[in-house]
Amino acid sequence: MKPKELISWISRVETLLGEFSFEELDATEAKTLKNSFELFKEQLHDTISGNEISNSKLSNTLESNCYTTSRKPNSGAELIANVSHELRTPLNGIIGFTDLLKEDSLNEAQMVHVNAIQNASSSLMDIVNELLEYSKLSAKRELFDSVHFNFYRLLRDVVFLCETLIVQKNVKLEMLIDPSIPEVLVGDPTKLSQVLLNLLGNAIKFIEEGNIDFKIILEKKKEKELLLEFTIADNGIGIDESKLPFIFDSFRQADKETSNTYGGTGLGLSIVKQIVTQLGGAISVVSNLDMGTTFKFQLPFTVGDKTQLRKKNPNNNYLKDGVKLIKGTRILVFEDNSLNQRLIERRLKKWDCVSFITENAEYGINVLENQNIDLVLMDLRMPQMSGFEVSSLIRNHNSITVSQVPIIALTGDFTIKDKEISEMHGMNDYLLKPYSPDELLLKLLKNKKNGRTSENSKETEQPLDSKTILEVDKFSLDHIVEDCMGQLDLVEELISLYKENVLEFIGKIKYYLPERDFEAMGFALHKIKSGLAMMRTNSLYEIIREMSTCCKTTEDTGQLNVLFENFVSEYPNVERQIDAELEKLKIG
Amino acid sequence: MNGNQQNIKLLLAEDDAMLAALLKFRLEKEGYAVLLCKDGKEVKEQLNSSLPDVIVCDIMMPYFSGIELVAHIRNDLRSQLPIIMISSAGNEQNVLSAFELGANDFLSKPISPSELVVRLKREMSKV
Repeated sequence: MKPKELISWISRVETLLGEFSFEELDATEAKTLKNSFELFKEQLHDTISGNEISNSKLSNTLESNCYTTSRKPNSGAELIANVSHELRTPLNGIIGFTDLLKEDSLNEAQMVHVNAIQNASSSLMDIVNELLEYSKLSAKRELFDSVHFNFYRLLRDVVFLCETLIVQKNVKLEMLIDPSIPEVLVGDPTKLSQVLLNLLGNAIKFIEEGNIDFKIILEKKKEKELLLEFTIADNGIGIDESKLPFIFDSFRQADKETSNTYGGTGLGLSIVKQIVTQLGGAISVVSNLDMGTTFKFQLPFTVGDKTQLRKKNPNNNYLKDGVKLIKGTRILVFEDNSLNQRLIERRLKKWDCVSFITENAEYGINVLENQNIDLVLMDLRMPQMSGFEVSSLIRNHNSITVSQVPIIALTGDFTIKDKEISEMHGMNDYLLKPYSPDELLLKLLKNKKNGRTSENSKETEQPLDSKTILEVDKFSLDHIVEDCMGQLDLVEELISLYKENVLEFIGKIKYYLPERDFEAMGFALHKIKSGLAMMRTNSLYEIIREMSTCCKTTEDTGQLNVLFENFVSEYPNVERQIDAELEKLKIG
Repeated sequence: MNGNQQNIKLLLAEDDAMLAALLKFRLEKEGYAVLLCKDGKEVKEQLNSSLPDVIVCDIMMPYFSGIELVAHIRNDLRSQLPIIMISSAGNEQNVLSAFELGANDFLSKPISPSELVVRLKREMSKV
């Protein structure tokens, strides 16, 4: 890493900020932006001039879990790593803030400046990330992430994956979360999911039928510091008592037979133990032959902040095209919070959509009857009537133009149950709050075309660019049915193989990505390609193609991570489409 | 269906279970006696015990690649049995080496089973 390069970028951002006129902005907004930059510069100055940064200063500025702060930086590389983390926080602030500024009514000159600040900050961010990556490598040990993440969403992702792994078996996986655990935590989400997938995966591997209970409770709470206890209990084959003490040793499974029957390198549990211990936790196991096994581990976290959640950042070029595609879309929004009302109205207006906003079911239905609405955004929690009830009203409406409008649920907290209920009430999709403009746009694009508008297209309809990754074309199984010569049971078999392949793939990448094993990822990517191409699930295929290129050329784990997250969040939609098509085939 | 490929022993080497299931189904419909191998090692073992009449073989497979298998068949086993390769899009370089070593034809993924059937018939008519 060249400090000169860094310094030149800093001065560039500084100049840009200096040139920017804050006059027309809210005073506090302007102050926040300036403050985050000052903080950033101060940190950086210390790094470049090589000043020792004291631990107390670290903990003052860095929100992190107890693990990272308790460790005293003892090598140059480690110091760099810690400081890079610090740099990222305020830098994130700058970038996020310019995002917000852009939503204000800026004049053209201001817009040019804000864009310049944002571009320069993003480049700076890349450099800082690079620095961090390098220091991780040279320190030859893993540094743990300390970010704000949605704990419930992570658990849902993990359970979603595991549930689909047990479809073939007669196994029930039940998750119980202590509701007093806050939604957003600070910690290392990647490592946590790695540990959970390993343990749950193990449980699934060694059980043919029965139950797996997955329980998370809040063990201790002291101000913002939390200790969570995770329990994974199965009633599978169990482990012999004499072998339990060695279970976390590297390269050792319970016995030779086990590895012959169930495969695996025996590394899983030792990795799990390493991670848990290094994160400042402890793990234990209790087991009886033929009775089952219970793994228990405790991990410390800090209470997080919703506004600090990392934004998903899909490729902006596609989104620019996307904005063109939704121009003129007529959207009805059910939303009761007046602040949210204003926010969404402004956003939709920016994209040249026509919006109608209400919290009143009667008024909304009236709009649907008379205003040619293309799509409905529905807040689930409204005072008079819940979003579910309003959706039912719409679906049962006697006019087909009303009853078939696509509905997207908006919600701050969405459990697997909610998902079932919303599907039951005929809702097409959901969007979790807080969402970024990009996420909203993606959902709008996806649902708009799948819905009614494709058939009843008005003369105002924008021509569609078929190459767009957003894959707004309607999904169909026709080609597969043709390949299978109309044999539905084969189609079904292929689909279930497809699902297995995808889940296996997701599991592999989850595992190899943190390990930076590009060769293994390359092979997994190659393997999944043929199935995706066969099913013509093009949106997923495109992501895989990009990931492949990334593995072969830049080896940029940050970008891989973003792409992979896109894949994982897109997959359930694809699976739903496939299942819906298959249902149609079976009936028809 | 079409029974005129009766008794033709076809070795299908494909590690992707989905594609393998689809192709096996279609080829059996056409009357081929299909033997499925999931990786290069299985193919080699099979070839050592008895030779099929024709091989449909993916290029990228665990243990031994399709290219290695073509070389093995032509050079070690000295057999001229027809070999049709399956390649991933963008692997043209590999296809060239396969041809140089004596592969007869190739198809790119995604594979159309009907196209494979036609190409197979063409190769078999040359034998």
